Amino acid sequence: MKKRRSSDIPVDSFSDIAFLLIIYFMVATTLVKVKSITADLPAGEKSTQAKSEKTPIINLRGGEMFFSDKRVKIAELNERLAALDLPNQDGEKRVIMLEAAKGTPYQNYFQALSAISANGGVVAIVEDE
Amino acid sequence: MKRAKKKKRRTIPIPVASMGDIAFLLIIFFLVCSEAVKDNSSLAVALPTSEHVKKTKASVVAYVTVDENGEIYFDNNRVDSAKDVEWGVRALLTNTISDDQRHVQFKCDKSQSKEVFQPILQAIAEAGGIIEAVGEIEK
Repeated sequence: MKKRRSSDIPVDSFSDIAFLLIIYFMVATTLVKVKSITADLPAGEKSTQAKSEKTPIINLRGGEMFFSDKRVKIAELNERLAALDLPNQDGEKRVIMLEAAKGTPYQNYFQALSAISANGGVVAIVEDE
Repeated sequence: MKRAKKKKRRTIPIPVASMGDIAFLLIIFFLVCSEAVKDNSSLAVALPTSEHVKKTKASVVAYVTVDENGEIYFDNNRVDSAKDVEWGVRALLTNTISDDQRHVQFKCDKSQSKEVFQPILQAIAEAGGIIEAVGEIEK
């Protein structure tokens, strides 16, 4: 009588392989977390309405920044926006207009945008005519 | 004198038979839950700085990048104009229900001028996206 060979699949090392795979993924994985600011710009029909005198406006001209026609630096802009107490205002009073002249670098725009966003304002972009 | 009886040591076997199953379950869990990164980190983009940037928890539906040459990328694919970005975002947001699903990541080189980035920001806003403008903390 012939002796039967055992045909078992060796599974003893499976757990080792699996744990090695887990360790590999844990070591090789990097969690992507970028830092950003959130800006919910209003969408819809473009308004041709003239700028209201009461609505604060930030003008960016090249490397310079103006808040309601007064030249300011970023720290000063933050203070002035904080003084407006925007989070506790309602509706249109939270709107801050943002106008940029041709050639304004994104760095300046980003700083103004982040200042408005951080102080609870709603950005309204002023377009060129 | 009576000799102290030697105590018999008991062997305590640790059950390891199910370890492999647990490990494979963990692998399957991570594979299912992982999301492939669509980030354009390979592109040359010098990020702007601000003291207000912070880590965001919002899940992003689309990635828009403007590199140092002013070229626009939408979800890793190069597009020609801001209008393409608007259509792309609009298409992605057709079935969105809540505000959490409207976040669009915007990465732009800090040296780019207004003529390049503003139309893209407006395009994202027009399509109904909430802009997540990426930057670095000012030191």
